[in-house]
Amino acid sequence: DSSLPRGQVWKWLDAHYDPVAGLYTFSSCVDLADLSGDGESRLVVGDLGSGLSGMKLKVFQGTALLSESTLLDLPTGLVAFFMDLHEPRIPAVAVASGPCIYVYKNLRPYFKFTLPGLEVNPVEQDVWQQVKEGQIDPLTMKEMLEGIRKKADVPLSVRSLRFLSLETDEMDEFVQLHKQQPIKRQTVITCVGTLKKSTADEDGVSCLVIGTESSNVYVLDPEAFIILSKMSLPAPPTMIDVTGQFDVEFRITVACRNGNIYILRRDSDKPKYSMELSSHPVGLVRVGKNVVVGCTDESLQGFTQKKLWRTTLPAPIITMAAMDLPTRGFQGVLVGLANCEVHLYRDKNLLSNIKTPDVVTSICFGRYGREDGTLIMTTKGGGLMVKILKRTAIFDDRDGTPGPPLAQSVRLNVPKKTKLYVDQTLRERENGVAMHRAFYMDLSRMRLAAAKAYVKALESSLTPMSSSLSEPLKMNAVVQGLGPTFKLTLNMQNTAACRPVMNLAISFLYDENLYRMRTPYLRIPLLVPGLIYPVETLVECTSDKGISDIIKVFVLHEGKGCPLLTAHINMPVSEGLMLN
Amino acid sequence: IRAPKAPELPIVERRNWLIHQHYIRKDYETCKVFIKEQLQETNGMCEYAIYVQALILRLEGKIQQSLELFQSCAILNPSSTDNLKQVARSLFLLGKHKAAVEFYHEAARLSEKDWEINHNLGVCCFFIKNFKHAEEHLNTALQINKHHKTFMMLGKVHLLTGDTDKAIDVYKRAVENFPENTELLTTLGLLYLQLGKYQKAFEHLGNALTYDPNNYKAILAAGSMMQTHGDFDVAMNKYRVAACAVPESPPLWNNIGMCFFGKKKYVAAISCLKRAHYLSPFDWKVLYNLGLVHLTMQQYASAFHFLSAAINLNSRMGELYMLLAVALTNLEDGENATRAYEQAVMLDESNPLVNLNFSIFLYNHGDKKAALDQYQEMERKVNLLQDSSSSAEFDPELMDMAQKMRAALQVADNVVWTKPGKDSKSKPNSAAATKTPGAPLGSNQALGQAMSSAVSYNKNIQLPTGTNFTFCRQECEWVKTHSRENVSVKLVQNAHSDLAWKSLP
Repeated sequence: DSSLPRGQVWKWLDAHYDPVAGLYTFSSCVDLADLSGDGESRLVVGDLGSGLSGMKLKVFQGTALLSESTLLDLPTGLVAFFMDLHEPRIPAVAVASGPCIYVYKNLRPYFKFTLPGLEVNPVEQDVWQQVKEGQIDPLTMKEMLEGIRKKADVPLSVRSLRFLSLETDEMDEFVQLHKQQPIKRQTVITCVGTLKKSTADEDGVSCLVIGTESSNVYVLDPEAFIILSKMSLPAPPTMIDVTGQFDVEFRITVACRNGNIYILRRDSDKPKYSMELSSHPVGLVRVGKNVVVGCTDESLQGFTQKKLWRTTLPAPIITMAAMDLPTRGFQGVLVGLANCEVHLYRDKNLLSNIKTPDVVTSICFGRYGREDGTLIMTTKGGGLMVKILKRTAIFDDRDGTPGPPLAQSVRLNVPKKTKLYVDQTLRERENGVAMHRAFYMDLSRMRLAAAKAYVKALESSLTPMSSSLSEPLKMNAVVQGLGPTFKLTLNMQNTAACRPVMNLAISFLYDENLYRMRTPYLRIPLLVPGLIYPVETLVECTSDKGISDIIKVFVLHEGKGCPLLTAHINMPVSEGLMLN
Repeated sequence: IRAPKAPELPIVERRNWLIHQHYIRKDYETCKVFIKEQLQETNGMCEYAIYVQALILRLEGKIQQSLELFQSCAILNPSSTDNLKQVARSLFLLGKHKAAVEFYHEAARLSEKDWEINHNLGVCCFFIKNFKHAEEHLNTALQINKHHKTFMMLGKVHLLTGDTDKAIDVYKRAVENFPENTELLTTLGLLYLQLGKYQKAFEHLGNALTYDPNNYKAILAAGSMMQTHGDFDVAMNKYRVAACAVPESPPLWNNIGMCFFGKKKYVAAISCLKRAHYLSPFDWKVLYNLGLVHLTMQQYASAFHFLSAAINLNSRMGELYMLLAVALTNLEDGENATRAYEQAVMLDESNPLVNLNFSIFLYNHGDKKAALDQYQEMERKVNLLQDSSSSAEFDPELMDMAQKMRAALQVADNVVWTKPGKDSKSKPNSAAATKTPGAPLGSNQALGQAMSSAVSYNKNIQLPTGTNFTFCRQECEWVKTHSRENVSVKLVQNAHSDLAWKSLP
């Protein structure tokens, strides 16, 4: 732990790190067990390969890969358990994969258990029977199956679902191919755990506890592989934790895909308690009677039947595992975070923080080889990391209150003031009144100048806006062209709310030596409020001396001498010469 | 002829667990790869894969696309409440609250006693301003599951309907259930602060800071309370934490500036306030404080500009006009100062300082009758304040000043009291120097007399009811009185610290 505060010693020894071990797995697919009865514990990993192919069961001894065997499908869970009372006491390995449990003994395939098929909808069966006997054609069948899918309580089988997704021309072939086979509906295993059968001994015979996609939990007898108990949940389980003995009393804690946690007991096939979390659980670890859950909202929460505590983590949780050290009476929770750290918590107190070179995706703590306190982690990049807890390491609860945050001792970044600023301050103190008066004088002058200009504009109707109540108008002018002929466009807009304006005309005032206007007087049509009316005319520059002038535009109301508004257009210099 | 053996069809749900595992680990890229694979394998019939795909799209901000996928999930499995809930959630995020409400009702029909549905229905109703229904739904949600989000929302609904008492009750219950939730603690603390219950406010804000020493809102609120009590160093410590977390917060720099001001480090105060002003140029409180600090620095011309800018932004505050009048008096613009005072007196309702300052101004300009009127108006306000709260404290300097003024007005013809009149014509920069003559005058007054004409030290908290959409904006201000000179100069300092905070949308 590189970030340990002073006074604390390193707690973990780095035993092994292989960054290219090529392992893709979850905490649920890693276990430690003495597979050959020689007192040396091996690491068993269900490797998901690429996630699409190359799934393997790998066994490690020390730093070496001892054996590997191919798995047919993705491993969802892996447990080592004692399935019989034979001597020497060697545990078997159960790998859950798809709808099956593969049991390995002495690292050799031993037994395959397949989950019983689910109930098939009788109406669906009937439809397939009919098509088999040729009573209905595939199109009719499609309609009937659609009907079943929408209404029925029992979902359709894979075969019908696949059929429904087919194009019309593929249907016949598909029906021919499949109609002889009986309809099956199968589910897959989502998580697996072990439950001691009748004794609490370390090497007592254990039952397998299986959670399925069909929202059920099964308890399997380890010798005969028959279902001892079947329980149902409101949603598919994702993680499972089991404690107790099947024949006496047990408690199964299940995290489900709907974000809730349920507790199943011996006497009921329905959950006894439920705990609603505010976000999805990522990890579930039981410490004694408490359940510690890590959630996607970067929180770690402790429960019994009700919530006990909650603490916030610095990064999203990737995986969690229990750290149980019975020889020292220590129980904690290891949490792998997305920021390449592994935290060790006892209740809500952080005891240790391990920095890792990569994001840890699975954690397993226990006896490996002959060392009791071994921490085994795999990383996102496929690495395998083994650390050993120092025998001298002591975990003491740090003070829960972290003390003042570091930022408190950071100096405030207050901008410095220059000498000039200070000088100006002094000048203002001495001459404040004069400065204010000068300001006031200038302000008054500016206001006066503005007012004068405004009055002048108003008096001579020089504004391009007319604010008269009867004819509120707005105008802007655009000159286009290089010369000698320019196009002059005047955009007129009536800004009244609803009244149209009528009887308007436009006339121009210009130097007749310089310009010739195609239409020096224009009548304007009725102006509907809001619309912009472009009024166009052509102006010819008659001078070849490269000079320009102003053209004044007047908007007039018929029968009134005073213009409503005036615009001055600064004409550009004509760049073209007149052709004579 | 025997038909060829049919191939085993893969189970549609076979990778659901894997998709879920990657989804909850926020490894969306890998998740998408498996989803694609699964949808190819099942010809798009895997409901869960589509569902997670839609969730990821929504997280990526492609809400419309996610909505369409959720709708196709709902077609694949019409009896699932989850699908309906997610359709509604996407509609909600698109701002189509009414449509979302319909889908939630639909979902509620399929699953009773669902906290999520009731909570979200409440939120939707809140956004379409149907507060009555919002309250009902949120209460139902609380009966099913006590969730801090629901408490938060219910409190907000009560605040928006103006029912502060109910809101406080809700937050109290929430804090009982979630004693370590800093958001709830801060909200409750700020509510108490608004209501003037400083003890309780400080308790809750302190608790919030215990659990999360970096909580910006709590730091600002608690810091401003410490400032009120003159604990500038402690407040400054807290602000340093906030300055690391939110270095561009205008209220924070405003408060830091006023901390420096309290510690008489005026240049630093101006630096900080100018930064606050730069970050939030239309905040009148920053301008107010800038005006105040410049007045203290005797930079009256600058003070005038800051104060007039503040008045342009908030023209309904008497104290602003009063400060402007003080600046104008010092700039020897008696005419405008009188106008500013008149405006101040007209707008102000409870602050006796305004009248006292006006009274002094009038007295100094020889209008004793009007000065007496203002003085009496001041006494009326003081009595009013004392009646309304027994704990009203009064600044000793202000009391002292009022006492002198009283004496001056009562014995107006007395030759001894003409001296202040002369002082008023003294130059502003000599103000500090002429402080000494005031002391013997003050010491002549009997203590009992001083108490009877007590003037307020007003420590009020202003409560604008800015109940806009994002919740209320709270600012606390406190008033402090410093008289710079014996009777003639009336510089009243009024520091504003504010804290603007927003709740989650």
